[in-house]
Amino acid sequence: MDTNLNVAKRALKDASPILFAYFPIAVTFGVIATGSGLSFLEVFLISALVYAGGAQFMLVSFIATGESFVATILTTLLVNLRHVLYGTTLGPAFSSWKERRKWAFAFGMTDEVFAVASSRILQNPAVPIYQLPFAGACYLSWLLGTVAGAGIGGIVPAQLSAALSFALPALFLALVFLGKRTFAHFSAALCGAALAILATLFHIGSFGIVLGAVTGATLGFVIQLHRSRTAQNTPTVQSGTPFGE
Amino acid sequence: MSPVLLETVLIGIGTYLFRSGSLSLGSRIAWPEGVRTWLSFVTPAVLGALLGPMILMQNNRVISLSHSADLLAALPTCVVAWYTRHLLLTVATGVVCFAVIRYFV
Repeated sequence: MDTNLNVAKRALKDASPILFAYFPIAVTFGVIATGSGLSFLEVFLISALVYAGGAQFMLVSFIATGESFVATILTTLLVNLRHVLYGTTLGPAFSSWKERRKWAFAFGMTDEVFAVASSRILQNPAVPIYQLPFAGACYLSWLLGTVAGAGIGGIVPAQLSAALSFALPALFLALVFLGKRTFAHFSAALCGAALAILATLFHIGSFGIVLGAVTGATLGFVIQLHRSRTAQNTPTVQSGTPFGE
Repeated sequence: MSPVLLETVLIGIGTYLFRSGSLSLGSRIAWPEGVRTWLSFVTPAVLGALLGPMILMQNNRVISLSHSADLLAALPTCVVAWYTRHLLLTVATGVVCFAVIRYFV
C-alpha cells in the first residue's frame, strides 16, 4: 500500500521530464518577452495567468507588432481552444473528485501535463495526492524559468535573442509532430497553413488564423470520417498508405 | 490597467475556463464522439495556420526557400521532432540551426 508521501514522490519523479523541458523554454520566453519591451511584472503575470507556452510567445509577438486588442485575444484563445479537448478527454477519470479539486487541477492542465496524465491514468486512477503535486511542480518550473529569463533578459546579446526567436516556430513544429500523425491531422495543418498564407496575401492576416483553424479542423475531420468508412468497407485499401491511424 | 495587462488577464481567464469548464463538464457527461474528433483537429489546424505565414512569408510576401532562414531551419527541426518526439530537443535543434543558418545565409 502506497503512503501519501510515496505517491507524491512518484508524482514528482514522473513530472521531472516536463520540469526539465519547461525551465529552459520558460527562460527563453522571459528573455524574448523582456526583449520586446515588456516589464518584468508583465512578463511574470503572463506566465502566471496564461500558463500556455505557445499562446504566451504568440501574445508577446502580437504585442510587439501592435496587433489589435480584439484580434490578439481571439486568436490567442483560439490557439488555447485545444484545452477543451484535454478536459473532455480526462474528465471521466476525475468524476469522483471534489469539484474544488477538479478546478485546481484544471489550472495546470497544459499540453504536456495532459499528455503524461492521459497515459498514466490508463495505469493508475487519478487521485488528488498524485495529480496536484504533479501539475503544481510543472507550474513552478514554468514560473521559475520565466523569472530567470526575465531577470537576464536585459543582458542577453541581441544576436542570441534573435536566434531564440526561432523557439516559437520550433515549439509549434514540435507540437505538430508530437500530436497524432495521421494523414487527416497533417491535412488539417497544411490546410490551415495555406489559408493563413492566402489571408496574409489579402491583408486579412489575423482572420486567416481563425479561418485556417476552423476550415483545417473540418477538413481533417471529413478526411478521417471518409477514411474510416473506406477502411470499414475495404480493409485492404489502408495497408499501403504512408500514414497509419 | 494597461492594454497588455488587460489582454493577459482576459486570455488567462478564457484559457482557465477552457481547462476547468471542460474538465468539470467532462467528468459529468460524455461528449459526442463527433465533437471530440473535430476538436482533435483544431490543434494541428491552428498550428499550421500560425506556422505557414511565420515560415513561408516575409513582409506579407511568400519567399523562396533559399532566402528563408526560418524555412531552412524548420527542415532539421521537423526531422528531430519526427524521430525523437522530444519537445526540448526539438526546440534546441531549431534554435541552433536557425542561428547557424542566419550566420551563413
